[in-house]
Amino acid sequence: MADPAASVQVAACGCITPFGDAAATYAALLRGECALRPVAVLGRDGGDEVPLALIPGRSLDETAPPEWLAAVRRLSESIPGGDWGSPGRPVFVTGSNFGVGGLYALRRTGDSSFAAWGAFPTCTERLRAELGWGPDVSIVSHACVSAHLGLLLASRLIWAGVADQALVLSFDFLSPFVAGGFHALKILNSAFPAPYRERESGAIGLGDGAGFAVLARGRGDWTLAGQGLYNEMHHFTANRGDGSGFSQCLAGATAAAQGRRVWFKGHGTGTLDAGRLEVAAAQGAFPGAPIVGWKGSLGHTLGSCGLVELAIAIESVRGGRTPGTAGAGGRAMGESVALESFDNGAFDAVVCASNAFGGAHAAFLLCHA
Amino acid sequence: MLERHIEALVTDDPGAETPAEGRSRLKGHFPAGATRRMTTLGLMVGNALSELDPGRDDAIVYASGFAESCALESFLDSFPAPSPTLFQTSIHPSAVQQLMIQRQAPVGELLPLSGGSLFAFHALRASLLSPARRVLLCGGEERGTWLLDHGLASDRTYAFAASLVADKTPGALGRVRLDRAEGEGGLGLAAWFDLLRGRTPFAGLIAPGWRMEMEWL
Repeated sequence: MADPAASVQVAACGCITPFGDAAATYAALLRGECALRPVAVLGRDGGDEVPLALIPGRSLDETAPPEWLAAVRRLSESIPGGDWGSPGRPVFVTGSNFGVGGLYALRRTGDSSFAAWGAFPTCTERLRAELGWGPDVSIVSHACVSAHLGLLLASRLIWAGVADQALVLSFDFLSPFVAGGFHALKILNSAFPAPYRERESGAIGLGDGAGFAVLARGRGDWTLAGQGLYNEMHHFTANRGDGSGFSQCLAGATAAAQGRRVWFKGHGTGTLDAGRLEVAAAQGAFPGAPIVGWKGSLGHTLGSCGLVELAIAIESVRGGRTPGTAGAGGRAMGESVALESFDNGAFDAVVCASNAFGGAHAAFLLCHA
Repeated sequence: MLERHIEALVTDDPGAETPAEGRSRLKGHFPAGATRRMTTLGLMVGNALSELDPGRDDAIVYASGFAESCALESFLDSFPAPSPTLFQTSIHPSAVQQLMIQRQAPVGELLPLSGGSLFAFHALRASLLSPARRVLLCGGEERGTWLLDHGLASDRTYAFAASLVADKTPGALGRVRLDRAEGEGGLGLAAWFDLLRGRTPFAGLIAPGWRMEMEWL
């Protein structure tokens, strides 16, 4: 559903990936680097090696307190402003994992110290205390479109005059829980991902990632417009074959992009059917717009991908050059897929799209304020 | 001030009913064979939501603090050979998707939330700010087993679904309103459910700086 009221400014945005902050990640993507490495899918419990991108020094195995907390603290130090979590400055914490790695460690070891960060409410409450926020912290979790939903809900508060600023923070750090789950679905396997490329079988990689955005009204260099959501409700892990879910979700961004020249930052995990449908929908809605996806290098940062990739898209516009579609080789799924980096000075907006289980879709248009 | 009218309400408070008893009670509400892989929360939320006949243009706000606790427990128990089915069904917001996928019923906006002591406020705020004509605010919890021992699951099973509309309709049940106010407060999901189930009027702070008024006609 397109939400015409959800045009709002981004006052600040940042991310952290295995390459570092948004600037370092952008530079690494331009250099064609890949953060994915073969890692045993169950960490110290072994299993097949699969492509994972972990923050340097971090193990897939959970610790108590979690190692990833240091990365979130570092990211939070770059969030401008204060008084977050007060009635006028609400926070939206989004993601799909939260501290679920602790549940895996709890079950495997019986050590109750892993329980402290294990569930959405307990994890968020501890994070809130760690970061010194007030109590107004909403929790949003809708698998891999979670960050988009946080941006939409925060936007609505600002447009309603309920808040003058809102913070959206998203984080997803890998664990045997999530790696084992995707491996069981067979889409996380020994092959490295090749988003938007034709090959015999699809494969994804997973990555650690976190991001934030401070949204405000009338302040900030960037605008989010045409925020849209759509839920196919066709199958838990497959899309409707006609691609209608992808197209429906782009309606708001398409309307907001009238008169603009755009490039398209897609979801592009490396699965084949979804990749083809996404490319077809993007080419239909935005003819000639170059399509890029970066999960072939960063891995899929799951519920946080919308914010992580927003921060990289902003760096790309600032830098004047867009990193091409990362990943293993193969023929592109469409002529609009940009396999190489390109100068983006002639473009004046970016469509940012993500997808999730259940045929959930989310998209918005990023442009200069 | 944010306000919507309560057009319809379904609550399910099964008390000490076991998951097997719940499945037996609710299976007739779903197509034959459809309930085999449904979770307890999926059955209960799905049944409540289906009575409101969710449509393409509705917004669905789904509130559950711990979500599919039993599927999560079983998924964790399935290692080192994790179950793909349990992985899917343990992911938020599986309860709503279990119903809607079964019905092949797309919906524009699905906003799945979790929460703690301010959960009722956050779910209501999201509902009252939605531009959709009709917002279906649904949710609930299912009682966990070993996760409950660690404080990581609900100690109670319940579900609800409420239809919230901007304009008062004939037969409206009540009205809910949020307003800024001075002071502290909180209202968790179970306490909010009890207000709905009892159709209990409420006027008071449910979050720092926020007051809720709920009236029943």
